[in-house]
Amino acid sequence: MRKGIGRILKIGTLLSTWGLIAMVLLQIVCRFSWFDTPSWTEEASRILFIYAISFASGLALKSNYYVHLDAFYNMFNPKLKMLLDKSIPVVIFLLFAVFAFYSIRFISLGMIEKSPSMGFNMGVAFCSMFIIGASLCYYAWHKIVKAFKRKGV
Amino acid sequence: MIWILVIVFIVALVLRYPIAFALGLACLVYLVCADIPLILMPMKMYSGIDVFVLLSIPGFIIAGNLMNQGGLTEKIISFCNHLMGHIRGGLSLVNIGASMLFAGISGTAISDTASMGSVMIPAMKKEGYDADFSCAVTAASSTVGPIIPPSVPMIIAATLSGLSVGKLFLAGAIPGLLLGVGLMVVAYIIARRKNYPKHPKSSFGQVARGFVDTFWSLLMTFIILFGIIGGIFTPTEASIVAVLYALVVGRFVYKKLNFKNVQVVILDSMKTSASLMVLVGFANLFGYILITEHIPQTISSEILGFSSNKYVVLLLINLLLIAVGTFMETIAALLILFPILLKVALAVDVDPIHFAVIAVLNLIIGLTTPPVGVCLFVASSIGKVSIGKVSKAGFPFLMVSLVVLALVTLIPEISLWLPSLFTD
Repeated sequence: MRKGIGRILKIGTLLSTWGLIAMVLLQIVCRFSWFDTPSWTEEASRILFIYAISFASGLALKSNYYVHLDAFYNMFNPKLKMLLDKSIPVVIFLLFAVFAFYSIRFISLGMIEKSPSMGFNMGVAFCSMFIIGASLCYYAWHKIVKAFKRKGV
Repeated sequence: MIWILVIVFIVALVLRYPIAFALGLACLVYLVCADIPLILMPMKMYSGIDVFVLLSIPGFIIAGNLMNQGGLTEKIISFCNHLMGHIRGGLSLVNIGASMLFAGISGTAISDTASMGSVMIPAMKKEGYDADFSCAVTAASSTVGPIIPPSVPMIIAATLSGLSVGKLFLAGAIPGLLLGVGLMVVAYIIARRKNYPKHPKSSFGQVARGFVDTFWSLLMTFIILFGIIGGIFTPTEASIVAVLYALVVGRFVYKKLNFKNVQVVILDSMKTSASLMVLVGFANLFGYILITEHIPQTISSEILGFSSNKYVVLLLINLLLIAVGTFMETIAALLILFPILLKVALAVDVDPIHFAVIAVLNLIIGLTTPPVGVCLFVASSIGKVSIGKVSKAGFPFLMVSLVVLALVTLIPEISLWLPSLFTD
């Protein structure tokens, strides 16, 4: 299950990124050739970018890519450090559970909107926010499980 | 009510929550307390990252990482070594020179410290340089990166202010060179006093070979810069052209890239970009709350009430930004403070491009300011030296950085001359 979700997120990230690269290259090629640049390429590249970010956001948490401030933490006693190591993933989980829940409402708002140039349902674009919330929740949960398996507090 | 936002954010930061999530948590608590619909969270996250210029950030990061996969760090170091290794304390000059060249590729100070430090610090220690000096030089030199184009903080500043990315890139070039040269002078003086080693002079052939080795990667910076300035590409297009260029050079010139490692590099780069964009998204919500609470206006009127003298205001802003830069990562600090302080700077007739350079320079100097400068921490952990010793050894470099900051603040032409040569 865990590997499956990780694989889906990786494939999603790679496909959206390659799509983004292809869209921007299409814009350049069209501009320097006798074709007119299709008006939808800018919108498509923005949506692919947001999707690439959404798929990668959970993977970034898994690989500890989010920057934090170590200066004060280093001064804490080991007991407090251990407590924080366990409580921080719980708070992150709750934060993104709320985020994911309200993303569903955001998607339903998008259902009545059409994208300006491509004409598709904006709910599809807003789905990316749910992916951010859900994937961060998912990897925060794994961090909680990992933290509580460790000995201590 | 605004105090809830600020207090939760600061407490979460101190407790070592990732900065992006500390912002998100502070916003969530504020929205709940202020009884504002929580749907604002995904809405503002979406609108924060749905900005065309931001698409250039993953492009530049992917291009830089693809180049690095081809052994670029070692090639740049080797070229600089042939060029400057024969001077007393040559490796410290190589360290700074390589950071200046590498700057155009990586674009962030912490990644420069980590990638350059992992090669340079052990090499310098092995040749008899003091460990604290090696770490201090590495930390100081890595601050040149984010100001020399292509610079991620400059793209963020452009996004926040609507300024031209190309002009901001150009505006950072001379201050970046000034900073690099200043650091080299200090390193040379210290090296002479401590009698650090020097290498035999390289032959012209070795220098030329080193140049050829690095030429293709350095050309990328020029393609990006002149593509944007010459109006050939938008910043986003330039970043994707850089990706394509890096793929071709890595595959056919350096012969280090294959299908598998390209996917790994793209995944890694997108994780870095995602961590930045989640920060940008939450900062957008944070900024929205600050605006609805009229905080920019309040801060602006407080500072201008204290003094309306341009230089006093700039001094106050410099002090604030250095203090914040010491604690906080450059992009996070920029996202939160730049829009607020830009308003103040405009009120005292500071050119917005000049101000963007001042802001970025302040925040990157903060990265090497004791006691908690992030680059000092990274370098000290690589060199296995206490942060106190590295801070002490880094003091002369910090002084030079502050002198450069003072010059850039007081003489706007240092930042504005190059952009003024290129009109829209």
